[in-house]
Amino acid sequence: MFYVNKLRDICYRNDFYLSLLLTKDMAGSWLGAHIDGVLLHAGDVRAPADVFGDIYQVFLILGTLVGVVVIAYTLYNSYKYRAQDGAAPESVDRPSLGELPTSGGGGRKLFLSFSISAIIVLSLIGWTYTTLLYVENEPAQHEDRMDVDVVGHRFSWEFVYPNGHSATGTLRVPKNELVQLHLTSNDVFHNFGVPELRVKADAIPGQTTTAWFVGKETGEYAAHCYELCGSGHSYMDATVVVMERDAYREWYNTTSGGNETEAVKP
Amino acid sequence: MSSHEHGLPPKSSISRWFLTTNHKDVGILYIVTALFFLVFGGVLALLFRIELWEPGAQVLSELSYNQSVSAHGLLMVFWFISPFAFGFANYVVPLQMGAEDLAFPRLNALSYWLYLFSGLLFGVSFFQGSTFAGGWTMYAPLNVPAYIPDGALGATTAVLALVMFVASVTVSSVNFLTTMYRMRAEGLRMRDLPIFSVSILLTVWMMLFAFAALLAALMILSADHIIGTKYFVYQITQSGAVTRTVGNEAASLLWAHLFWFFGHPEVYIVFFPALGVMAETFQTFAGRRLVGRKWFILSMVLVALQSFMVWMHHMFLTNINLTIKTVFMATTIGISLPFDLMMFSLIYTLIKGKVRFKTPFLFTLGSVILFIVGGITGVFLGAVVLDYQFRGTYWVVAHFHYVMVGGATALFGGLYYWYPKMTGKMYDEFLGKVNFAMYFVGFNLLYFPMFVAWETPRRVFEYEAGLTVWHQIATIGGLLLGASFLVMFYNLFVSLWRGADAGDTPWEYATSAEWAVSSPPPMDNFPGLPSYRDGSLSFLSESAVAARLRGDGTASTDGGDPTADGGVATGTALDTATETHLETEDVEHADHASIWPFAVGLGAFLTMLGLSGVQQGTIVGTEYAALLGVGGVVTFGSLVAMTREPFHAPEAALAERFPYADVEKLKLGMWVFLASDVVLFGAFIGSHAFIRVAHGWREWHNLIPAEHVTMPGLINTYLLLTSSFLVVLAMVAAKKGSRRGTVLSLVGTLALGIGFLVNKALEWQHLFHVHSEAFPQGWDLSTNVASSTFYLTTGLHGAHVAVGLVICAYMTIRAWNGAYQGDPDAIEYFGLYWHFVDIVWLFLFPLFYIL
Repeated sequence: MFYVNKLRDICYRNDFYLSLLLTKDMAGSWLGAHIDGVLLHAGDVRAPADVFGDIYQVFLILGTLVGVVVIAYTLYNSYKYRAQDGAAPESVDRPSLGELPTSGGGGRKLFLSFSISAIIVLSLIGWTYTTLLYVENEPAQHEDRMDVDVVGHRFSWEFVYPNGHSATGTLRVPKNELVQLHLTSNDVFHNFGVPELRVKADAIPGQTTTAWFVGKETGEYAAHCYELCGSGHSYMDATVVVMERDAYREWYNTTSGGNETEAVKP
Repeated sequence: MSSHEHGLPPKSSISRWFLTTNHKDVGILYIVTALFFLVFGGVLALLFRIELWEPGAQVLSELSYNQSVSAHGLLMVFWFISPFAFGFANYVVPLQMGAEDLAFPRLNALSYWLYLFSGLLFGVSFFQGSTFAGGWTMYAPLNVPAYIPDGALGATTAVLALVMFVASVTVSSVNFLTTMYRMRAEGLRMRDLPIFSVSILLTVWMMLFAFAALLAALMILSADHIIGTKYFVYQITQSGAVTRTVGNEAASLLWAHLFWFFGHPEVYIVFFPALGVMAETFQTFAGRRLVGRKWFILSMVLVALQSFMVWMHHMFLTNINLTIKTVFMATTIGISLPFDLMMFSLIYTLIKGKVRFKTPFLFTLGSVILFIVGGITGVFLGAVVLDYQFRGTYWVVAHFHYVMVGGATALFGGLYYWYPKMTGKMYDEFLGKVNFAMYFVGFNLLYFPMFVAWETPRRVFEYEAGLTVWHQIATIGGLLLGASFLVMFYNLFVSLWRGADAGDTPWEYATSAEWAVSSPPPMDNFPGLPSYRDGSLSFLSESAVAARLRGDGTASTDGGDPTADGGVATGTALDTATETHLETEDVEHADHASIWPFAVGLGAFLTMLGLSGVQQGTIVGTEYAALLGVGGVVTFGSLVAMTREPFHAPEAALAERFPYADVEKLKLGMWVFLASDVVLFGAFIGSHAFIRVAHGWREWHNLIPAEHVTMPGLINTYLLLTSSFLVVLAMVAAKKGSRRGTVLSLVGTLALGIGFLVNKALEWQHLFHVHSEAFPQGWDLSTNVASSTFYLTTGLHGAHVAVGLVICAYMTIRAWNGAYQGDPDAIEYFGLYWHFVDIVWLFLFPLFYIL
């Protein structure tokens, strides 16, 4: 664990410089969530949905850029060096039938472009690695998080609240609360995902996985199964309802044996 | 065309194609069969693309949808792409490296027949209720009978079809490796192999190990289906005084590890031949040598090695810990970088070229573009945080289709590229270009919208209504892509008759040896013995070879010197010399035809089909029992017949054999096979350890009855060790020419081996029928995970012993008739196998009896 923390510290520092290269305000918001230290309320937490949104955007822009440049350059070269009828005799040494294969020239150019591509890829991945550390370690910083067990059944989702209340098909959570899911399955391999909240994890029989999210807007979010699990797989959906905190408390108190304290403190 | 068909009927005769062992014929069989499976898998894809026209199940039922999706994946990945590439490998690699055929021509034909029959077996599975419907990744425990409706027969058949396919791949890998290391033309070092051959060499190395891991997974899965072991079963109910259900925590993850340990190298196995075709055609159609060829090859080697260290990136959302995620993220990104270099190398090869936009080049250029898109979107997946969200969505679907079908695009380029060589006719260039245009537009219409609609979960027919338009574009693209193949098939079929004569090489600047011979090449490939000793290809006459063998280093290649017009030897003197050479050879040559590979394939097909009727240890119908019996007899009979058939596999007098000059080809083949067997046993042992750790190392003992004692295992250890010693004695006796000594030692080996099996049978019989408080119903294969791993792993070893004994019995009879005296090689190779089986036991014994 020591090394992981150490690595994390190093990455944070690198991340700072890397972020400067990318987008300034993103770096600001990201570092803000950390350096400010103690957070009073999960509404300020940089939720997985925010993390995903930022990274995805950067990747999309850079990916499109690189793709367009490389493909355009490929097409340009193939067109520029097309065979032309009646072209002037040339001095280029062409390969001949039966020769032993050797390299064409241009090794330096090759290494230059390779290095550039490697730098781009490694920087991007280095940067996202710091966010991976964040996503992996953040729930532990929140003692006041809400823990819910999620059990996959063919073909429904069961949610078990801290007070033991169990509901199938609908998960209710309070707004601005860090919700940690503990997933498993009762039969086959499933995968629970809520696309809008950017939370997803495998639900594996005999194993427990975790994932977390923060619902910052009230409303209903669709959840699906993302691992083929049989004939009803396409219909294996659920709804995540993000409620105002008061409304949630009220509802939670009606569930068996539940009270407010138990709801937020596992 | 050569009149020397070595006893084979002409190509126009149907019987030729059942008898042939020639690499070029086998190559064509592979290509045609692979295209058939492309159509099969493609029609399934069109079915579910039509289903996806709008959300909901309209055309297909839920289960039919899952079946089409699963069968499409399995057919395309296993029965189309790789075999298609290996059609070219079969045809082109021996020509490129200067060999007359593969090292083991009949095994090559056997590979093909196992491939064809495995595909047919998969087809039969549709008619046994339903075929496998759990996705091509076959995740556990959805892949066990408990979760398969309609008695699971079809699913079992599908799994067995895969087992048979892997057998084909393994035989083929051994064959190609032996060939490529031992049969290169004189002066052609490994590093001088043309780039397509290099790509195949590395592909075959990966296949050898990756498919062995898949074989382990599939054998275990079939055991779960057929004899009722419990590896992938999550809840194991043990009946008795108190019925209790025990969870097998390892079930899902074990499958995922085994499958992806195979599955990730498989991506490169599929893609490497495509890379080879890209590089080959870029050189030819740009008229430039590959830029940074050395680095290109080094990149491929790095990828091939590292491909075995990235598999857990398919499991980022399971409960693996952060450290492992970090390691696998790093290896995953690491493995993407060599591909950057390879792509740049291809692009720079165009510079200063004379690029001709012929159909093959259009396809490979298109392939490079598609791969760039696939590669960039793959980097997205390498970022773990993004991967978390892309998991199980159309992003993954779109990405791997850009990579895999992108690779297939290059292979279609390869089909156009080598078509004139294989048929002697040119395809129609205009139709070729129409084909490419439809293909490329169709491809992008089909797969690009999937990136846009990436939020759609994989393998569902319900999706958000807002995404409908993208799915409709994709379906239209799919239909266009499908239609492009009609143009391709029409073009290639009609050109067989109407095409212009292609000549030796229709492509200016092609360099590799296949273009230096006629189209199609003669049966023996070359008009003399190919040699690169003088720095470029020449064909040596018989007298030149003889002079070379006498050690006359200055012998000229009379008539074989490269002529000015492109280095092809066509002198009259050479032709005459070759003719004499062939005639003398014909007298020595046994028939090149053999029906037995086909018969073995057919027998295996019947056996496997019969086996699918065995579910959890009981046979479901007499027809299946009959199939099993007939199949067994046909397989065994054909194998014996194949062994007894006189058959001559050509081996050149002069060849580059580094680093295996001193290793005879059968011996090398045996070593290569054993290397894959190491992985097979490694996967079995690893599975045992994985399940035990998941269950609790100490608690494991509660799953094993007290009656399971060390003694039978210890006795068997002594029996096997002694028998290994006797094999060595048999070899020594044969070397000395003592028939009596040879026979006695072999009989001793046989007796000790039989003793081993009898002892094992007694031990198992005892354990099956224990009556203890913990195990009132005995301790059999289905009792729990400990019994499953014990019986299956030691059973696999027992099967190896049994196969060894059959061979040993055969050799004993031959030794009795006076064989091997002064020529103990065969005994030595059998010994290699036998010692290996012995060593495996030395691992199994402590693992299952002591720890």
